[in-house]
Amino acid sequence: MSVKIEVIEGGIPHQKIMIGGLVSTLVCLYLTYLNVLTNTEMFAFFGGLAMITALIWGSHTIKVLCSYGIGTGVPSAGMIAFGSGVIAMLLATKFGMAAPIVALVLAAVIGFILGYISNNILNMKIPAMVQALTEMAVVGALSLMGFAALITGGFTFAGLTTGEVSMLGMTVSSNQISFIGGGLIAVAFLLGAIAIQHPFNACLGPGWKQDRMLMLTAECGFLSMIVAAFMSFALISAGSAIISLIIAILGWAYTYNQYICLSKRDAAAWLDAKPIPDMEGL
Amino acid sequence: MSAVAAKPQAGGAMNPTAMAVGVVMLLIILALCWYVSPGAGLMALVGVIIGGVLIGFGTHFVPVGGAPAAMGQAPGIATGVAMLAAGAGLAGLFGGAWAAEQGLVVATITGGVGGGLMMAITCMMVNFVYVFGMGIPAASGKVLYDPITGDSQKEFKSQGTEGHGLPFVSFVGGVIGGFLAGAGGTIIYLQLLSLYEATLPAVMGLPPAQVIPIAVAAAGMFAVGLFLVNAVLTAYNITGTIEGPHDPKFKRWPRAIVASAVASALCGFVAILIVAI
Amino acid sequence: MEQIVFGIGITALTGALATIAGSAEDTESNIGSQGDPNSQVQLAPQMGFVHRIFNKAIAGEPPAYGLWCALGAGLAWAFMAMQINAVLAIVLGCVLAVLVQGVYATTAYLGRTASLAKFGQPVYVDILKSMTSVTMAHAFIAIFCTVTLCHLINGALGHPFPLPLLGLIWGIALGAAGSATGNPYYGKERQYQNQKFGAGVPISASGNIVRYAEAGERNSLDNGWFTAKIGGSASGVCFGLIVFLEIWRTILFEKISAGWGAIIVGILMILIFTVIDRYIEVWARKNYGPYTEAKVAS
Repeated sequence: MSVKIEVIEGGIPHQKIMIGGLVSTLVCLYLTYLNVLTNTEMFAFFGGLAMITALIWGSHTIKVLCSYGIGTGVPSAGMIAFGSGVIAMLLATKFGMAAPIVALVLAAVIGFILGYISNNILNMKIPAMVQALTEMAVVGALSLMGFAALITGGFTFAGLTTGEVSMLGMTVSSNQISFIGGGLIAVAFLLGAIAIQHPFNACLGPGWKQDRMLMLTAECGFLSMIVAAFMSFALISAGSAIISLIIAILGWAYTYNQYICLSKRDAAAWLDAKPIPDMEGL
Repeated sequence: MSAVAAKPQAGGAMNPTAMAVGVVMLLIILALCWYVSPGAGLMALVGVIIGGVLIGFGTHFVPVGGAPAAMGQAPGIATGVAMLAAGAGLAGLFGGAWAAEQGLVVATITGGVGGGLMMAITCMMVNFVYVFGMGIPAASGKVLYDPITGDSQKEFKSQGTEGHGLPFVSFVGGVIGGFLAGAGGTIIYLQLLSLYEATLPAVMGLPPAQVIPIAVAAAGMFAVGLFLVNAVLTAYNITGTIEGPHDPKFKRWPRAIVASAVASALCGFVAILIVAI
Repeated sequence: MEQIVFGIGITALTGALATIAGSAEDTESNIGSQGDPNSQVQLAPQMGFVHRIFNKAIAGEPPAYGLWCALGAGLAWAFMAMQINAVLAIVLGCVLAVLVQGVYATTAYLGRTASLAKFGQPVYVDILKSMTSVTMAHAFIAIFCTVTLCHLINGALGHPFPLPLLGLIWGIALGAAGSATGNPYYGKERQYQNQKFGAGVPISASGNIVRYAEAGERNSLDNGWFTAKIGGSASGVCFGLIVFLEIWRTILFEKISAGWGAIIVGILMILIFTVIDRYIEVWARKNYGPYTEAKVAS
């Protein structure tokens, strides 16, 4: 391990964010299991919360990785995270109750090998690469599972591939109207892939602040949760979807407001309809 | 290709040990796949690896200049390499998936032509904007003469830049890259689709007609996912920008072949496990 | 026969929609300085050129448009699954997708600008208020056209992929085509209007973007107005050609000799575009001439 050039100015160390993110994501994912125990779909919103905590962890991982300068844009890191995560997540859904744990292990293995490939075979020689790609594959898999739980109420393969369609009062089981069959997984894929890279991409620069970036991640997460909650109306009961939607809107309004306050704190000036300031004296 | 990159810089060197480890990993995954699903699964995995390698190799041809290209400071197309390859390859996948019922060969070539057509139109329009919109002729910064047409490049390079626009060799590279990427994506999709269509009815206990939406969507999603993984790995290999097949960075392709093969084998194996266990 | 006429009609419609989408996409990204020209908007304050340009860095255009279009398509799909009329479902889905785009745009501007505090770049709230709405309007046109064409491909032409996956594919292709064609025109021709015409921007001039207009200070709406004329329309033609030709060759020639007809037509079209490209290149070399004398080439 060579010495990292850029110090993380204050803030919470990455290790802490990683452990906190991992634990709370797994806890939230398992809380959606209350749906099965109570035979409702009311607890689907925990999937959204799992997705948000995973994204917060993942966006900080991207910060750690991209402060080395990987030669291509920040967005590509989000793409590889979710590209490897989606494959691990789909296999893990076959394991029923153990799915989140299986997704974690499987994604870690895939991410580790991809990290080895980039660092050694492609000769990138970035010290944080292996760990970062491992973490990001896990984040990709777990946050996709969170999206799945939010939209369908569960994370089993059967639940993701079947849906119910009501026609003229009759309810018919259908595979076309489902998370995978309908292609909603593609939407979840990109919602996550953009939300994970946007906070660092938007906040990079000399004035980068950890709390501002993480607040933006939470904001992106809640924003993604709002639209995912809209999509969940098609697959779970309206009452449960409304619960998710209300929680998402409240969380989004709070984090968006906080993010604007933090930006106001960090900005050089906060002007409305003013000309370019005279910089000659600088 | 044993002649490694002309410039002895760290990024261009090859790591023989890691390459050997990569090949061993590839063989282990193939053996595992043979153990789990000797017939259809192994066939599908081989197809996925071929598709992934085609994507990884094809991305090297796509001329991408990144941010400097948008200022006319460097030749190539002004966008990210992974995303441009994805745009062309997915347009190819779209055509290939449409022709899926016409057999592997026709569908794969259809997908390739779709990707090549997308790149041909895009590259032509890029030169159109450079020449008629901005009055700038095309010039390469990496070679003195265009390897295909023999046109001299140096005197068409404006002052203080590394070249601009798309010289003919870059145009041809773009079309070849789009063709390979589109064909690769289509192969991955077709292999997974036929595997899923054959095995999902038994796995899920449903009639074959009902699993088709699942098979199509899952195979499509995996093709997109594998596509992005391979394209980003290649983007890492060429560190973001490349002018086309005449660029010295192009000589790094053996690394990307091994990397793409291992990554595709790994992801493809996991995708096959869904129906194998 | 009727089938083919119907197919050709749908093909023409998708081509037209794609042209509008490409044009709106490029104008939107130029007003927001998204994509590669963003690097200069980001660099300028660091070189001492504080500006009033919208700095909307949401990934590159291809992934961003992949998201907006996939999201619009996914929401439209969900609304259609709830038995809502297709037209209404697509409009509602696109409206929600555009709201997401608008929020992302504001957070990107605030984040990038706040991180530039060291160089004295202030946050202009009026930029947020006036530009975001304009980019959202353009983005709505682009997303609506793309989702509609995906729905036509899926519903009327029978492509096997579900609507959201088509949205992802054509969204990424839209962003790739729009950024490839439109970026140089905005990045070189508009941002560096103070540099020599007919030459690339010297690397030493990086960051010195034009910040003042004919009267007053340049804002990003001026940039959209300027680039819509060539960059925007060229992007529209580019994406329109891609979608139209891809579907046209499949609809008309797929039946000929078991699929080989479409392949041969596709290859012929690639050759035609190659010839056009070569003609453009040679035309420029002949008419613009070299910058320096040929004999120094060694």
